[in-house]
Amino acid sequence: MKARRIVASVFRHLFLAIMAGIWLIPILWLFVTSFSTDPGIRTTRFFPEHWTLANYSKLLLHPDTVANFPAWFKNSMIIGVISCIISSAFVLMVSYAFSCMRFPSRKRLMSFSIILGMFPGVLSMIAVYFILKMFNLTDSLAGLIVVYSAGSGLGFLICKGFFDTIPASLRESAKIEGASEFTVFTRIVIPLSKPMIVYTVINSFLAPWMDFVMAKLLIRSKDPADWTVAIGLYNILQKTLIGQYFSVFCAGGIVVAVPISILFIIMQKFYVEGITGGAVKG
Amino acid sequence: MKRLLKAIGKYFADFGTAVSKGDIWVKLSLIIMGMGYIGRGQVIKGLLVTALEAVFVLFTKNISWPYITKLNTLGTVQREEVFDPITMTKTVNEYDNSLLILLFGVLGIAIIVAFLLVYIGNIKSAYRIQELKKNGKHVNNFAEDLRELVNDKFHITLLALPSIGVIFMCILPIIFMVCIAFTNYDAAHQPPSTLFTWVGWKNFITLFSNKQGSTFAYAFVKVLIWTLIWAALATVTTYIGGILLAMLINHQDTKLKKMWRSLFVVTIAIPQFVTLLLISKMFGNYGIVNGILTRIGLVDKLLEWGWISTSYVPFMTHSGLTHVMIILINIWVGIPYQMLIATGILMNIPSDQLESARIDGANKFQIFWKITMPYMLFITGPSLVTSFIGNINNFNVIYLLTGDYVTTDASLAAANAKDVDLLITWLFKITSESQLKQYYMASVIGIVVFIICATLTLVTYSRMIKGDKEEVFQ
Amino acid sequence: MKKKLVAVLLTAAMAVSLAACGKTTEKQPEVAPEQGTEQTTEEKTGDTEVVINQGSDDAIANLIAATEGTVDLTLWCSEMESYQNTMKELVDEFKNTYSDVDFNITIGAQSESTCKDEVLKDVEAAADVFVFADDQLNELVQAGALQAVTTTYTFDPLAANGAGAVNAASLNGTCYAYPLTASNGYFLIYDKSLLTDEDVASWENLVAACEAQGKKCGFDFGNGWYTYGFFSGAGCTATLAEDGVNNVCDWNNETGVAVAESLVKICSSDAVISIGDADARAQAKDGDLIAYVDGTWSIEDFQAAYGDNLACVKLPTFEVNGVATQEGSFAGYKLVGVNAYSKNVGWAMLLAEFITNEEAQMKIGANTQEGPSNINAAASISSPALSALGAQSAFADLQRVGGNYWTPAGTLGQTLYTGTDDVKAALDDAVAGITAAAE
Repeated sequence: MKARRIVASVFRHLFLAIMAGIWLIPILWLFVTSFSTDPGIRTTRFFPEHWTLANYSKLLLHPDTVANFPAWFKNSMIIGVISCIISSAFVLMVSYAFSCMRFPSRKRLMSFSIILGMFPGVLSMIAVYFILKMFNLTDSLAGLIVVYSAGSGLGFLICKGFFDTIPASLRESAKIEGASEFTVFTRIVIPLSKPMIVYTVINSFLAPWMDFVMAKLLIRSKDPADWTVAIGLYNILQKTLIGQYFSVFCAGGIVVAVPISILFIIMQKFYVEGITGGAVKG
Repeated sequence: MKRLLKAIGKYFADFGTAVSKGDIWVKLSLIIMGMGYIGRGQVIKGLLVTALEAVFVLFTKNISWPYITKLNTLGTVQREEVFDPITMTKTVNEYDNSLLILLFGVLGIAIIVAFLLVYIGNIKSAYRIQELKKNGKHVNNFAEDLRELVNDKFHITLLALPSIGVIFMCILPIIFMVCIAFTNYDAAHQPPSTLFTWVGWKNFITLFSNKQGSTFAYAFVKVLIWTLIWAALATVTTYIGGILLAMLINHQDTKLKKMWRSLFVVTIAIPQFVTLLLISKMFGNYGIVNGILTRIGLVDKLLEWGWISTSYVPFMTHSGLTHVMIILINIWVGIPYQMLIATGILMNIPSDQLESARIDGANKFQIFWKITMPYMLFITGPSLVTSFIGNINNFNVIYLLTGDYVTTDASLAAANAKDVDLLITWLFKITSESQLKQYYMASVIGIVVFIICATLTLVTYSRMIKGDKEEVFQ
Repeated sequence: MKKKLVAVLLTAAMAVSLAACGKTTEKQPEVAPEQGTEQTTEEKTGDTEVVINQGSDDAIANLIAATEGTVDLTLWCSEMESYQNTMKELVDEFKNTYSDVDFNITIGAQSESTCKDEVLKDVEAAADVFVFADDQLNELVQAGALQAVTTTYTFDPLAANGAGAVNAASLNGTCYAYPLTASNGYFLIYDKSLLTDEDVASWENLVAACEAQGKKCGFDFGNGWYTYGFFSGAGCTATLAEDGVNNVCDWNNETGVAVAESLVKICSSDAVISIGDADARAQAKDGDLIAYVDGTWSIEDFQAAYGDNLACVKLPTFEVNGVATQEGSFAGYKLVGVNAYSKNVGWAMLLAEFITNEEAQMKIGANTQEGPSNINAAASISSPALSALGAQSAFADLQRVGGNYWTPAGTLGQTLYTGTDDVKAALDDAVAGITAAAE
């Protein structure tokens, strides 16, 4: 019995290792290419012939007419953080209203929202552009923040599903003790939902951080200093530039991953709390 | 349907009662909206409502009305310009811009409708207060009204801002784009220089009938089939893969859980457009994978066996193989996300349920099927539907991976589509890459995508939303 | 009322321009007959003669006098560093020339090849002056985005530039842009240590030589821009119809079938590969690809790959029905356009003139790989790539194809490359797609 368990455990770990290997190969390629002396794409060797840090110094210290990474990073960071705060708040608010409150036409509103979320966003871009132009918000970070956070309330489904699992009795007893809905929301439901909040925060940070379609549409400035990371890196891969900038692109990809990785490392801690939270609830 | 009609009937009947039975204050609020409140001492509320009315009147009169009146034709005055070579300046007439007329016309009408709803509600509310006063009941003062907004009416507070965002950034653009489907907006009718106008159902007919010289109908069917296959496979593979991976990592015997999780999560940390572009380059005809396969002699072997006819493996350029590759790459992209979601939920399974099942002598599989899976499905069921829809609209993966793909199907090419296109990437190409810029066709396709998604969800989701299941785990 | 006003203004303007015409008739520009344009002059834009009036110096003085405050201008040009720097110098010179006026000129990085997409997204918010590739002229004009060049003030672009460039900038007898470079076409780049002049004279020899050495040659079959050359070389046509939107194409006639069969035969060799230019540069660097059809924009990369052995030559011949036929091509020009919606249209025109005059073109030619369209400037600058382009220009056509051309033509190239049993059917499909009516 015990021997079988050990064999199974070895296999489990072996399998996990192989899977992780497959998942990491492209990342590894990205990583090693970012140290390559050859600026273009290598096609014959996995590892570069000669290693250098030049790509990083070019990227971070010597902005040129094509790549102005420090500015991109700053812009993306501003957009990412602010729209992340707004959209997370929106998602949590909408989820609480739909999950924990009972009001007329709640279900109708929910179905309506879900259906709305299904309209292909790519299509409404032109209209979004002109609406923002009306408010004089094109070509500005504020405009992008509005775009990324305004519709975020529609993404409540998963979060609402989570709120549904929080026992209603907890809320009831708080209310009996005289707490307002607002207090219940901020003092009881939110602290109990850390895993969900982490998930929401990460998603709402990643969406603006990675989007390039909307950003390309709204940022019309041709000065690289006004771009976001996504537009800038996407632009580098243009036919005329890829030969000189591919390694720089890879370096950019690695640098961009840093803030998100930090976010994930913080998140892991909350996952553990999520476990205990779930246990307390039971 | 009948119930809906009845509800609408009651809505207006109530309004009628309020107007006819209302006293002088209610009747005054027909003209100045705040009077109904001011007359009963709710001065602040009354002033706020009146201010709203004023803003509405000013906005409609000065901004939106000129556009609304031109909605029927979408403008008639074409831009004309005269350049004066002596002063080097230009005179331009006051021309119409169909796009702005449509957009602000729609916006103006939406605001009028919204205002009417508020207006009717306001009269009813004024009448309600009159009744309260008459029956000697308590009428809230302003502070009490505010307090209600964090209590019984907290949902209004919660939903107000998100709703405004959604109305401006989702609903309004959607109405606008639906309208575009009924116009002839394309490169030849492109504001501000040229006008476009209404054409009725013509564009829908183009999509569904094999008119001579148009291959839209053919392309539509082909692209739709692949879109559905893709969405189903992409959703199921990543969902199941994610749960299995999460369970594998969460298993009690697995050491270093955190590390394993992190290894997979790293792939999320790098933006999708970076990894996808990178992978598409890796699997390109002359990319590194082919380079290595050639060096180890596998390409020659494959050539020998007659599996391929080129000096490379056409991972991303061969119909069929590319379809498979896209699904595989999507598994790579999607599993870490699903694993994260599943982990979060697995940890939240009420442990008393697991405990009691164990005490009852249930074995592992029984627990998995009777407790874990129903719980998972309950929580992730809606997300399964959303991720199916999300995959139908999965722009990034397809667009970034298939940039180098050239279709060999001439009929598809004539409609600007590729074998590997989803409806969403197809409509994007129609508006951005095609030189004809047939916005109206893109819009028609968008509407069809929307109808497909909406139907699918309504069927599946209404089942989940209905019944008392919502309360089961509360 | 408004219409009436416009009508009055129109007649007034016409009277003025007629008067201006009268004054400058003896200065009627002569279209330079050199720069091998036998083919291009046949284009229908060549039928109606393009006329540009010479504005007076008074106009500029008036404009300076009438200008108050800062003039904001935006200029979009290629994102290449050398280009951006050169443009910056030119803009500074421009500011010095008109030092009485306070300018705020922003230079943006925008690839010429996708310029029209960016301009047409929202023409009112686009740059005042922008550089674009000549194939976009048709659409930009159709969208009303270009200010017609009816009058120039500092020099006469018609006389200064080669006839091909002027034709490329004109549509139906009106000039819409200022020619900047004449080097946006394609030719054959190869490694002369491995291939002889004989080898690169014809595709058949080239393929044989590559096969013998185990090397590769090729071009991007999936791009209709390159495929065009084979059909045009054999005398087939694909061009805009009278309406300026749709295409006429006869590639499925007997000659076309012979061309396609010949292409299939060439592609049947393992030595021929279909490869995009980004991949091609990497392959060249690895030493596998020794001959490739490409343009000046890739020269630096191939220079890095082949070193001193880099050589350029006009496109090879290929056999049609057993007869060696010269492969044709699209001629390419870069043009400078003035946005019709520019708020400072007068200054925008002067800036466009300034960056396309002889000295400016010399500077651009010296600092980048590009060949000037200005006749005098072109004469003073030479490079292997530019002489290859010059030799090819006799067989190059002006790029006048409608929007429905590209995807079907790319698909045709890809189909012929992968090989097909029924060439005729593939051609029929392609022609049907290319000529499909664009509503």
